[in-house]
Amino acid sequence: MHTSHPRLPGELTFMALIVLFSAFMLWASYNISRFDSLSSPGFFPMLCAATMLVTGLMSLVKTARSKLALAPGQTVFQQFVQKLAPLTLVLFAALIVAYMLLLEVLGFLVASYLFLLLSMQVLGSKRIGLNLVVSAVVLAAIYIVFQTAFSVVLPAGSLVGPYLPEFLK
Amino acid sequence: MMEALGYFFMSWVDVQMLLLTAMGTFAGIYIGAIPGLSVTMAVSILISFTFKWDVNHALALISGIYLGGVYGGSRSAILLNIPGAPSAIATGMDGYPLAKRGEAGQAIGLTTVVSVYGGFIGILALAVAAPLVSDLALMFGPRDYMLLAVWGLLLVGSLSGESLSKGVFSGALGALIACVGLDPMTGENRLTFGSMQLSAGIAYVAAMIGFFGVSEVIAQIHELKLTAIKQNVSKIIPSWGLLKKYLPLATRTSTIGVVVGALPGAGGDIAALMAYDHAKRTVKNPSRPFGEGAYEGLVAPESANNAAVGGAYVPMLTLGIPGDAVTAVIIGALYIHGLKPGPMLMIETPHLFWFIVGSLVLANLFLLVFGLTGIKIFAKIVETPKPVLLPLILVLSAVGAYAINNNPVDVYWMLGFGVLGYFLKMYGFQVGPVILGMILGPIMDRSYRQAMASSGEDVGVFVTEFFTTPLSAILLACVVLTVVSQADWWKKLRGRK
Repeated sequence: MHTSHPRLPGELTFMALIVLFSAFMLWASYNISRFDSLSSPGFFPMLCAATMLVTGLMSLVKTARSKLALAPGQTVFQQFVQKLAPLTLVLFAALIVAYMLLLEVLGFLVASYLFLLLSMQVLGSKRIGLNLVVSAVVLAAIYIVFQTAFSVVLPAGSLVGPYLPEFLK
Repeated sequence: MMEALGYFFMSWVDVQMLLLTAMGTFAGIYIGAIPGLSVTMAVSILISFTFKWDVNHALALISGIYLGGVYGGSRSAILLNIPGAPSAIATGMDGYPLAKRGEAGQAIGLTTVVSVYGGFIGILALAVAAPLVSDLALMFGPRDYMLLAVWGLLLVGSLSGESLSKGVFSGALGALIACVGLDPMTGENRLTFGSMQLSAGIAYVAAMIGFFGVSEVIAQIHELKLTAIKQNVSKIIPSWGLLKKYLPLATRTSTIGVVVGALPGAGGDIAALMAYDHAKRTVKNPSRPFGEGAYEGLVAPESANNAAVGGAYVPMLTLGIPGDAVTAVIIGALYIHGLKPGPMLMIETPHLFWFIVGSLVLANLFLLVFGLTGIKIFAKIVETPKPVLLPLILVLSAVGAYAINNNPVDVYWMLGFGVLGYFLKMYGFQVGPVILGMILGPIMDRSYRQAMASSGEDVGVFVTEFFTTPLSAILLACVVLTVVSQADWWKKLRGRK
């Protein structure tokens, strides 16, 4: 039994969520073809979802039995922030989301350059000059290699794209 | 025979492929060595770029990266005491103490040579065993494939994680993700919730990059502040006397590596730990006590993890069942190139098999060259600060996910799986089984339905056939043993003896 190590903040919620998700998927799988036959298209998804439900419940029970190790005066939320979502991580994750969303609008080069600069700053690489150069060099390398060797068409961006010089498209 | 030889040397005589193999091996060593970059991550990202290439070129590159990456982890384990890859966890236990004594150069030299040696044993096993297994595989019925797939998932779930239930959950999640889209047998929509986007299924590569790339990058934020210690690296090439002394051990542990690698679901990381354990139990007079810089503690895991590469290719090529997470990704690559790994691959495209064996041998030779050179520059690159490295990996991941279909939706999937993967990891789930589940799920689905249909939808017949066919009975026994050996009551029973 692994009940010995303390429960992490948010672990119980996460386990409950995956159990709910599994139950929902079981219901969705059941709706594919109900119990028509034992080799129907819905049978295997149902089996997977049922397995997830059972093993998810097992993990939920195990988690519920273990105890949180809170420091005196610390709330669960504070510990969650400290152990799972420190500020740097949240900021970085927000930058990632923004980057993915803006990739289509700003285009690969502009969006990536901004993302690289900002995230290096957030993660603590404070030498701005170096960050500027490293980002530019690496991005240029990625762009050239992928555009030529791998013939990957990277998004030019709907906002910036039309104004870019021809060779950068 | 001559024909096979021709294909074997194909990547040796073609300048482009020769260069790609060399580049792959070189890059693999660095990818494996840089903590935070894994071979699985690299191969996942690469697949999305190389799918427009000729399949041979892609395979040559991947062979190099795989072999180089499995080895590369050892360098950072020795120099920094941070295993660059999971397969190098055991290496640091004795490698780092050696480096602290100022013997880093020698440790790296010895590691390189035994890795190459292990690699050759693995490849030899692949060349000899694969044709035999492939003949045997023709006798495998749908039921046997189903059992193999189940066993693979259970093995990876139980060996790599802290609890079997979490491992099985991850595997089932992967299998369920793979179900989304049109049912390959009837064309019905499954779990698409009326969305056209989902009818096409969830891009396998996007999920892979999300689980191995993005989630890893996010998780690494917790370890931003680890810094490297400067090492004195000189006298790299080991003496013949030293090598001769450790050859018998390396041969034994390479054999362990091959066998573990060939088990569905278990790869280099587990092989290395088992080999280290074997060395600890069998070597009576190590050069120094284990854990304080014993050469044996380097030789055993490093020969085993490279031998596991050849081993892992065996079930992948002959049965279409991945031997570990990397081969699961490589299977994905083969699918993308329109190839179907399995017994028919060896029969229909034997040239491909000999080509793979040939490029693995070539990559292994390059490993020897690159492994013994350039260690000083290497130390610099491995010290790339994470605040610079992590954003770069993320950009590469985004490019990779976008490149599959030129579709931004895949990038969002990648991001979603990345965040999910992060929380799964933090709460003690493994992401490896998810990917294996995505590969094995469709195999299980198809083989189960075929088996059920062939027994006339009769549960009684279906169940009895598990016991009446010898092959199925053996596989079933393996599955049951894996589950039982993980059960608490069994562990207690054994502990009491």
